[in-house]
Amino acid sequence: MRNVVLGGLLLTGVAASVPAQAQDTVRIGLVQPLTGSVAYNGKSVVEGARLAVEEMNAAGGVLGKKIELIVEDGQCTPANSVNAVEKLVQKDKVVTLVGAFCSSATAAIMPVAQKYKLPLITGVSSKASLTEQGNPYFFRAAETDALMAEAFAKILANDLKLTKVAYIGVNDDWGRGGVEEFSRDLTALGVKTVLTEYFDHGATDFFTLLTKLRAAKPDGVFVAAETQDGSILVKQIREMGLDTKVFGVGSWATADFINLTGEAAEGIHAAVPYASSMDTPRNQTFVQKYQAKYGIKPGKYGAAGYNALNIAGQAIARAGGTDAEAIRASLAKTSYEAPNGVYKFTDKGQAYGFDAVLVRIEKGEPKVIASTPVDAPH
Amino acid sequence: MDLFPQFLANGLVMGVFYALSALGLTLIFGLMRVVNFAHGEFYMLGGVSGWFVTNYLGLDFFSGLIVVAAFMAAVGWLVDRFLIERVRGQGEEPGILLTIGLSIFLVNGTLLLVGPAPMKVAGAVAEGPLFFGPIAVTKLRLLAVGVGIALIVGAHLLIRRTRLGAAMRATFQDPMAASLAGIRTGHVYAATFALGCTLAALSGMLLASIYSAQASVGGLISLKSFVVVILGGMGSFAGAIAGGLLLGVAEAMWGGYVSMGMVDVIGFVLVILILLFRPQGLFSIRTERA
Repeated sequence: MRNVVLGGLLLTGVAASVPAQAQDTVRIGLVQPLTGSVAYNGKSVVEGARLAVEEMNAAGGVLGKKIELIVEDGQCTPANSVNAVEKLVQKDKVVTLVGAFCSSATAAIMPVAQKYKLPLITGVSSKASLTEQGNPYFFRAAETDALMAEAFAKILANDLKLTKVAYIGVNDDWGRGGVEEFSRDLTALGVKTVLTEYFDHGATDFFTLLTKLRAAKPDGVFVAAETQDGSILVKQIREMGLDTKVFGVGSWATADFINLTGEAAEGIHAAVPYASSMDTPRNQTFVQKYQAKYGIKPGKYGAAGYNALNIAGQAIARAGGTDAEAIRASLAKTSYEAPNGVYKFTDKGQAYGFDAVLVRIEKGEPKVIASTPVDAPH
Repeated sequence: MDLFPQFLANGLVMGVFYALSALGLTLIFGLMRVVNFAHGEFYMLGGVSGWFVTNYLGLDFFSGLIVVAAFMAAVGWLVDRFLIERVRGQGEEPGILLTIGLSIFLVNGTLLLVGPAPMKVAGAVAEGPLFFGPIAVTKLRLLAVGVGIALIVGAHLLIRRTRLGAAMRATFQDPMAASLAGIRTGHVYAATFALGCTLAALSGMLLASIYSAQASVGGLISLKSFVVVILGGMGSFAGAIAGGLLLGVAEAMWGGYVSMGMVDVIGFVLVILILLFRPQGLFSIRTERA
């Protein structure tokens, strides 16, 4: 214990007396949930981020130094995420922050990033209001529910020929947001809503909900749920003997989702910003490298971590130094060629220009059936 | 009204698992006065070790169930002998702190060993719908419910018809007198804790064959088990069964007719009602120690 205290004192002493430039690495802080109910998805973000850092370092790093990724567990809770950011800033002296996963946690660390005037990039948090807060240090390298709904409502209504849809979402900002955005856009296209239901994170038995679904007789059901909840739900839809069309948002095109769901995954549709089967040379290289390193194909969150770190690394390289204002200014000029298209940022820090896809699970693989670029919000 | 039979069936299925899990908790509480906050983690360990034996060791479901039962009984026994015993007779608070610590240790230890991915236990029979008139169930669910009921009956017979059960009941009634009568109460406590852990773990493994297991599932199960135990009455065997079924059906009805999004609330509403109108629980007649 005494050693830790002494070490801590030494560290702060050294850090105070030596300017930040004297570090022999460029440090980027990453806050993700590594424990708790979404730890599973947080781990994928970290995997993607590590791959990006490894690649950049193999190519010589940035500013002539290696990038050092410092990962902290924010548990997706506002308080823990803020603590993690304070530690990353105070102790580790990171030059850029990436995180957090849940929108509520990201909302909590945004003012902290602004207080220290450090750029903050999220690759995941999709609550639309985050980029509306006028925080100049915040950048969202992800789709919002509204943008996804806008991109896919037409395809769902016209190509899948849905007329009566039931909506099921996980009971949080993201799930409710997804249901509201999709139902609004689909309703505008003349699709009738026959049921709207929410369930809690970690729910396991959906038979009651599905009983109501069966009675509502929809020809399509929209689901906003993550890997575990979503896979159990889809399985139970089949166990109940319902043969309605299923389409969802979340990590549905991932190998894990498909493995967990098994045969019940066949034929379901998912609207996702990334699928490992996207047919671009850049994506094929990414999938190959990811699979070689982790033994599994990347999903939405692996790609999100990979993209966020690349965007950060490239911005630091363009800034020519670790000055936060310079990094912020060069982030605003991002034009990053990702596996899933090109990312640019609006004045409010919202990413656009990358492709989102509608996939159908066929023989255990996500098959891309429609692709559309995500437009800037207007 | 035509949805009612399905809601009832859904509720009864869940109720059996709630009862099975809460049975372990109420045994440990009733006999040992240990408020076991790690109960949900034993449930979780059952699912995770069930996944391990069916997935990695390639055992079939029923052999797996036996191996998991033996393993978790050993774990429960060791936890009692090396941890719970140290705080025995010091009131309830040290036990609460100890089991909270144990639960944090088990969750994070599991995360470290197997990671946060959901794990699926290979079931004994094929999945797929099965219809009884308007009611849809699956073979897997029926089988799991059958095994669950068999385990409940088995636990009942163990307590009512065996020497160990008699020793347990004697210790429950008066530890001092039981000890004077020559019952090795230390062993009885360890056996009770082992039995409680095993019941929770088997409930976890049965459910993980229908859903999946994950390091973080224990918290909610602990809470629900406490709800069931309070509903049924502390230490009451019949109460745990009735409480479990009541909670399962109440959740299904609430979810069906009111809101799925607030389904976890109904258990606590029931607890408040019980505490207001029948604080000793539905079945318990012993209140002086609770």
